[in-house]
This record gives sequence, structure tokens and C-alpha cells, in this order.
Amino acid sequence: MEFYRSHVLVCAGAGCVSSGCKAVESALIDGLKRFNLEKEVRVVETGCMGPCDMGPILVVYPEGVFYRKVKPEDVGDIVEQHLLKGRIVERLLYTTPGTRDLVPKIEEIDFFTKQTRIALRNTGIVDPESIEEYIARDGYAALGKVLSTMKPEQVIDEIKRSGLRGRGGAGFPTGMKWEFTAKAEGKPKFVVCNADEGDPGAFMDRSVLEGDPHSVIEAMAICGYAIGASQGYVYVRAEYPLAVDRLGKAIERAKKYGLLGDNIFGTPFSFDLEIRVGAGAFVCGEETALLASIMGKRGEPRPRPPFPAQSGLWGKPTVLNNVETWANVPVIILKGADWFASLGTAKSKGTKVFALAGKITNTGLVEVPMGTPLGEIIYDIGGGIPKGKKFKAAQTGGPSGGCIPAQYLNTPVDYDSLAQLGTIMGSGGLIVMDEDTCMVDMAKFFLEFCVDESCGKCAPCRVGTKRMHEILDRITKGEGKEGDVELLLDLGQQIKNSALCGLGQTAPNPVLSMIKYFRDEYDEHIREKKCRASVCASLFDSPCQNTCPAGIDVPIYVDYIKQRKYADAYLTVKRDNPFPLVCGRVCDHPCEGKCRRAQVDEPVAIRTLKRFVADWELEHKGELPTFAAGRTTGKKVAVIGSGPAGLTAAHYLALKGYSVTVFEALPVAGGMLAVGIPEYRLPKQMLAAEIDSIRRLGVEIRTGVRVGKDITLEQMKEQGYAALFVAIGAHADQKIGIEGEDLEGVVSGVKFLRDLNLGEDPGVKGKRVAVIGGGNVAMDAARSALRLGAAEVTVVYRRRKEDMPAIQVEIDEAIHEGVKFIFLAAPLKVTGMGNKVDALECQRMNLGEFDKSGRRRPVPAEGATFAVAADVVIAAIGQAPEGEALRNAGIPFLKGGTVEADAKTTLTAVDGVFAGGDCVTGPDTVINAIAAGKKAAREIDKYLGGDGDVVPKAVIERAITGEIIEREMPRAEAGSIDGKRRLCSFDEVELGLTEEAAVREAGRCLRCDVKDA
Amino acid sequence: MRVREGEKETRIVVGMGTCGIAAGARDVMSAILAELAARNITDVTVSQTGCVGLCEYEPLVDVIRPGEEKVTYSYVNADKARQIVNRHVVNGQIIGEWVIARKQ
Repeated sequence: MEFYRSHVLVCAGAGCVSSGCKAVESALIDGLKRFNLEKEVRVVETGCMGPCDMGPILVVYPEGVFYRKVKPEDVGDIVEQHLLKGRIVERLLYTTPGTRDLVPKIEEIDFFTKQTRIALRNTGIVDPESIEEYIARDGYAALGKVLSTMKPEQVIDEIKRSGLRGRGGAGFPTGMKWEFTAKAEGKPKFVVCNADEGDPGAFMDRSVLEGDPHSVIEAMAICGYAIGASQGYVYVRAEYPLAVDRLGKAIERAKKYGLLGDNIFGTPFSFDLEIRVGAGAFVCGEETALLASIMGKRGEPRPRPPFPAQSGLWGKPTVLNNVETWANVPVIILKGADWFASLGTAKSKGTKVFALAGKITNTGLVEVPMGTPLGEIIYDIGGGIPKGKKFKAAQTGGPSGGCIPAQYLNTPVDYDSLAQLGTIMGSGGLIVMDEDTCMVDMAKFFLEFCVDESCGKCAPCRVGTKRMHEILDRITKGEGKEGDVELLLDLGQQIKNSALCGLGQTAPNPVLSMIKYFRDEYDEHIREKKCRASVCASLFDSPCQNTCPAGIDVPIYVDYIKQRKYADAYLTVKRDNPFPLVCGRVCDHPCEGKCRRAQVDEPVAIRTLKRFVADWELEHKGELPTFAAGRTTGKKVAVIGSGPAGLTAAHYLALKGYSVTVFEALPVAGGMLAVGIPEYRLPKQMLAAEIDSIRRLGVEIRTGVRVGKDITLEQMKEQGYAALFVAIGAHADQKIGIEGEDLEGVVSGVKFLRDLNLGEDPGVKGKRVAVIGGGNVAMDAARSALRLGAAEVTVVYRRRKEDMPAIQVEIDEAIHEGVKFIFLAAPLKVTGMGNKVDALECQRMNLGEFDKSGRRRPVPAEGATFAVAADVVIAAIGQAPEGEALRNAGIPFLKGGTVEADAKTTLTAVDGVFAGGDCVTGPDTVINAIAAGKKAAREIDKYLGGDGDVVPKAVIERAITGEIIEREMPRAEAGSIDGKRRLCSFDEVELGLTEEAAVREAGRCLRCDVKDA
Repeated sequence: MRVREGEKETRIVVGMGTCGIAAGARDVMSAILAELAARNITDVTVSQTGCVGLCEYEPLVDVIRPGEEKVTYSYVNADKARQIVNRHVVNGQIIGEWVIARKQ
């Protein structure tokens, strides 16, 4: 039976005959002869196909391409372009009218459009148990071509020219391997397929064997012909039963069809294949160990040389290639080395299959041209990180490779670029890690794998990896010591240099590369006993508490709410955070992002529970409870700035018995809480109640006093202040730096909000307002402008919605209230009529390469500008400290405008002067400011001779107090006031939880802080 | 001739790689076969295929009606599979909400 790779159907119905199909058919036959395709392409006359008005009609199978109104002169193109080169002649295609196009074809979704599938060309398309379907897709045509038209040397040359390199990971040029084996002395020779896929997270070999086994069989036969071997083995692990089964069936079918066995295609060439099932030892993926295993020996590596090309199976020359390498071979033979070499990069040709695993939306297998940027694989094809989490790093090469952190997302993925970053291509496992992955724990995991899989033959691997694992284990348990990291680096290098085989030589790689890029996490584990990803369970009680910058004991207060012990709950919060009422409203709640409950359904509503308990206490007691101030030390401390950082420090210092005076330049206390956050998010009376509870500790707040101007540092010293805490926040505008910025109607976001909060009318009623920026200040300004009666509010942001730094709920509420958003637009200039603003001119932005933060950098779209009509432009693009008075007083500032203070001690260069909060970090969250104030209080207490223990003592018993609800249960959502009331008033938008809702919500906590439950 | 076969009748292809099977493709396959048998439908080819790469969305089922584009359904279970046979294979109505989504 003759096999044609393609059939061309020529409609010879009466309609087409009359429109000239016979001339088309003879032109086709001539064309095929001219290109020597008559043995590959069969022309078939059919009866009427139906659409006679489109005749003459040609249909090309197996693709099923439908050409209509073909003239004899078109045939040349069809033969040359389509039948010879596989390019469809689009101008002759039939285009479907309308409707069906609405249903996306699977090939059209983003996941596939950026892929180029060579090794995976058939998986998911053909029936792996049907050899006919493989043949229908050019299967065994390459073998036929090789046997009938090529000499063995030509085959090797073709593979060499294609630039194909070993896809198992090491990347050795395949053609050279074949050549060495072909030229080596010794007979018989062998062909072996390495299907001992063992990397955690890699599964492309399994997928190819399961989905397209014939492609491997065909390729191995081609290699057998090229090197002069007649026997091949596929070494596949027993854990892949389906692959073993389908491969076995495929071999049988191939034998039956005469595609394996004696005298294939009637030529003298004979080739047979056998499956060897491995027991699944990782080391058997190493070539010498694999070959030993095939021979029935213990799966252990031996030193090389001699390489298998000289001395492989039973001491005979042997080619050993990986499944994916094999799967590429038939296509290279059919489409040519030049075509293959046209894909990829200079030194890495073709495509590579990656198994996407870990924290990625589209877990699966993808095949992309070599050199595709890592970021494209992860975001465009992989769909990015689920649940809006932040990308941290990607591990390539599994336990033998290394990690690539976010700043290298633009790296073109090929053998050499990855090697430069200290990792390897490996077999193509791509494990994506997000912010919830601990880099110490991850390194430990990979090393543990190697410890388990070490065959034990050589000491560096057997003992060395074990020692490394012990050190890592200690670090994750909080028992790390100074010098551990250096020891790991030293040991790792020794093992790399001295281990016998690839397993040992690469085993330290994950540890070395994770230390290289994430050294700070290792140091944090060792010095601070902190695991920021909340993974190393010995280092914290609960992920929420571990994540809270202020370290609030969340599960304990949530449990008190569940038991209706509201006073206890409130004081539990207050111990670590003097602002429960404020944070219950405006905190960005990083704790909820790490809540384990999210693995069941949704995180516990930690923030709204905090608000509930604070509201309850205020409502039922008339004032907020607090702790008793400590016995007086007789020492005086001054705090400059009454924002969350300053007042938090004042609170804790008062508890320690210091006499604290807070100096505030503005007429009101509270800093950004008072003049930055609008009334509808944080009512003034609530803030006042909370500040009042700090005043009751004896803290004096002097408003309207600007230090450096109204009082000098010397005067303060003379007045007996022994220490000074600078917490002036970041209240100064930042210029946009564009033309027209000085026109009347351009105002900064902070000034707009400050004026509003201090009772002035910013005058936007009936006007069109454009807001520049994507942070919380921009959202607050936009929503406030709507409430002030602006006719239209438009936010212009240069990145995408998902890149906005504002709290998600603020963005959602702004959209809900009617704020318009224009994303990917940057301000160019403000234009005006006379002195007054009339529009904001913007530049359209496109997404460019990935920046250091792992987000795509917006780049101007050439020539695309537009104007947003506006009477008022609010620029909310960032703030800096108003530092002039203090700078003049001798407090050191950094170039960026922030105060220079020691990260550990919070001390500035001036003795006795500490600093913290936004004025040190730049604009940040409330809870981070509170954490900074607390830290400063500790340091100031130590400086003044105290023990630094500023948090009130409490006895905490971690025990289960009721039923733990593990079934799904919806999260309690606080309601909000309706839209109409929102737009005509500054009434608080969010409503609190009712008592019953709060108690029920508290019951959703899984109490992961209780260890022995 | 095999090259052209299958084009005259509707084909249903179930993703039966390890990923598909782990996600329940066997139940889907048997539900499809049972439904076709119950409705006495014989002009439909049901076949299996390997992993197409979208493991996250398995079980995947392709329906190819003659002369129409392939439609791919994701997250199919036995119940959805029966409905796909009834609504799409028999009545030609594509069930849009289950079709694998194109990213906006």
C-alpha cells in the first residue's frame, strides 16, 4: 500500500467541470511532477461537493484546506506554497460568513497563539492509539523520505545543520552525538530513548509518549538508519503506566504496518524497538546509570569518558536522546534543517517545551520558540499568577537548576541565557513561585529530593547533600547561626566540583541560586527568625500575625470575638496597634492575603472584624479602653508629627512611663489620617476618639507648631527632651514635570485632600476633573471630587488596572461610583485658555518589557495622543516629606527627600534623634507607619536606659475554644450606603458588621495558630 | 482513504492524557458513550487524544461537526458531557458558557 502524506481532492461534479476543473487538475498533476511530489501527494477526483458557485474547488487533506475559484494559474502557488512548504495560500481560501467566528477556536486563545508546536504537534490532536491518524498527519513520511532518498551521512548532516540540541537538559548537539556514534568502532550499535523523566514539575516526555508515541518510534528508526543500528530501547519509568501502555501498542501497530521490523519500506534497513521499564530512580535519568539499568545492572552512574557514543550498551556505541529531542526529528527531516534553524536564537535552535507548574493560572504544557522571554511564557501564555499575587521567581531545571527572580523576566529563554543567570534549561520544568513561597523552604525541598535520590556511590553527593539539607532544616526551624549561609555556599561548591555524575554536580544549584538572589530571606530567617512568606511554621504562630507589620495576634482577638469577649478582643488588638478603629477602616490588610482560610473558600474578614470590635467598645463604653500608663521615668521625649507613626511611638513611650509631647505643624492632630484620608472612609470623630485614648495616657499634642520654625531643636533640648522622634510624614507635592503645570486649576492630590479635610472648598462643583495617578491618593481625590459635585471625574493612569497600587476595594468603589478610568495613558501637557486649564493632553502607552518590579513597563505608543477635557487637573503622583525646616535644623536627609535613619536602630546621624514612618520610607501604608512608630519606641526606650519591651504583657493561651468550621462558608461582607447618598454627602460608605455577623465570621477562623490541635 | 475519514460524521475527542484522566476524563468518556447509546446515535465517532497542554482546564472535550469549526469545552464532567451530546452534537447548539474562554 502506498502512503501519501497529502490528498488533493478535485471536485469533478458537473458544475466544476463546466467552470474548468479539468484544466486545473492537469495543471496540478504537472505541478506535482515538477516538484517531485507525485509520490507524496495524491490527486483524487470527487463527485460534486455542493458549493458549485465556488468552483473549481480543491480541498487539501489532511489539513482540510478548502480552496475555491481556482484557476490553472493559481495551481502553481498551491503546489509550491502549500504542498511543498506547508503554507496555506490564503488568497484562495473560503472565508466563513459571520456567526461561527464568535465561537473561539481552541487554537485562537492566548494560550496557543504564542506557541509554536513541533514536538507537541500531534499531542491533543491525534488519537495516540491510532497509527492511521499519525500517518494522516505526515507520520512516517520522514522515515520514508530518509530510507528512500537520503544516505545515512545526509541524515546526520541534516540534524547537525538544524542545530537541534538535547532537550533532556544538557543541550549537547544531537547531530554530533549521532555522528560520533556512527563513526565509532564496534557493532552492533544501539539507539536509546531516555523517558526516565524525573524532575518534579516536568511532564513533557510523558505527554509525548502518551499523546504521540509514534513520533518517538519514527525518530528512533531514522536514527537507527543514520548510525547503522537495528535495535532500540525506550527506557521509561514504571510510574507512567499509560505511557508504557500506549507506547507498547504503538510499537505493535508499527510492526504490523511494516514500519518497524525487517526490511522497512522494502529496503534492506531493519529496526526493532523494545521497552525497558525503569523502577523510577531519579539517577537513572543520568545516561550511564540508565544504560546500566537497561543491561539489568544496578542503576548507578560511572565516570565518563568513555561516553556512550563510544561505549554504551554492552560496551557498544549507543545514541541516547530524550523523548522531546526525538519528537523533533521527523519534522526536521520533513521540513528541513534550514526551516528548523530559522526558529530560536543564535545558539539554541527550534522550540522548547515547558511544563508550567506551581503558582500559575494555566498549569500545563507549552512549546515556544527558543528565546521567548520568560515573562511572556508566564504572563501571556501561562496567564500570570492566580489570586493577584506577586511573582517572586521561576525555577527552571527542577532540582538540578536554579531560580530566576522577577528582575529577569525579560530574559530570552535559551540554553546560554539561562546558564548566565546561574540556572539551566533542564528538561523544561518551569515552577512558578509567588510571594507565598519561602526561598529557604523551597531550596530545602529540592535538596531533600536529591538526598532521597542520591544513589550513594560517591561521597560528595551521598554525604554532602545530606549535610546541606541539615543546615537548611535548622534554618527553617529558627536554629540557624551566623555563618550557615557561607557554609552552604562552600559545601555547595565542593559538591559541584567533586560529585561523580550530573545528579550530584547539580544538586546544590537550587540552594546556590536561591542564596544568590534571595540572600536577605536567608539572613532574615537566621537573624530575625522570621519567614516572610509564612511557610516555615516553627518561626511563627499564624500566617496573619506573621504578616501583619505590627504583629497583631489576629487569631486570638478573632477567637475572643467568637466568644463574645469584645473587651478582650479590643485590647488584644490594641496591645500591638494603638489604632484598631482606624485600621479596622483603612488598613490594606496584608494579613488577609495570607489567611489559610482562603484555601477553603475566602480569607477571614480580619479588617472588618477589627472595626466591629472597636466600634462596639466605643459605642458601649463611650470611649475607647486603653492600658494604664507605666510608672513615670521622669524623662521627656518629643515626637515631631502626629500621624500614625508619631502617635504610635507616643502611645508606647507613654506606656513605658515617659512624658511625651507631640508637636504637630497642622492645626489638627492625626497627620495623613486627618488630612489625607477623606471623611467617607474615616470619619473625623472616629479618629478623634482613637487619638483621645492616646491623650488619656498623658501624651500632650501641640498642634500648629512647626519644629525648626516655631521651636528649634536647641530649644527643645533646653526644655529637657532627652530623645526626639521625627515622624513628619510625606505631605509635600511632587511636580509632574510637564508643560502647563502652573496653570490655574492644576492642584496636587495631597493639597486637594488637605484643603478639603481642613474645611475649605476646593471648588470643583460642576467642573470636569482629571486625576493623574493610580494610588490611594488618586482614588481618594477622585471619589471626593465626585462628592463635591464635579460634573465628570476621569482618572488617567499610565499602567493597567491590575498594576494600580491603590487598595483594590478603593478602585472598585471608585468605578462603582462613576469615576471614569483611562489606563495606559501618561500626561503630556496641560493646556489652557488664557490662564485656565481646559484639557489634559495624554500619550497612549503600550506595554513594553518587564521592569524590575516584574510589571510591564509602559512605553509611548508612537504618535497616539489624545486630550481629556478638564477644568481641574489633580496630580496624585507621589509625595515627599516637607523637610525644609528640619533640614535647616541639621537633620540629615537623603537625595530623594527622605530622612536618613539607620534601618535597625531608627537613629539619625544626630544623637538622640530618631526617625520613622513615611518621612523615612516615602509614602506607605498606615500599618507600616504604626510598625515604624512601635519600633522607634523600642529603640528610644533602649536608648534612654529601658529594656525596649514596649508591648504590654499578656498571658496567651493558644487553644481551640469551639468547633472549627471546615466546610465552605461565605465570608461576611460589610454592607455599604447606597449610591445616591454617597454622591451628595461625605457619609461613611462602608457599614460595619452586625454582632451576629461578626461572631459568625469569627467562627470561620481555622485557628492555625494552635499547633497541637 | 483513512486520511479523509471522519469528516462525514461528527467527531467527539476526549483529552485522555494522565492529566485528563486525573481530572475525570474516564467518567466523561463513559457518559458520552452511554448517552450516545441511549439515544441510539451511531454516526458519531468518539476518540481519545493525549495532553494538549492545557492541563489546568481538563477534562477537555472537542466536538467537530462536519463542515464546522472544532469547538473545545473545558472542565467537562459527566453531566456536562451528556448535555454536550444532547445540545451540541444532536441539535447543533454550541454551549457558549462552557467553551474554553478566550482572554479578553
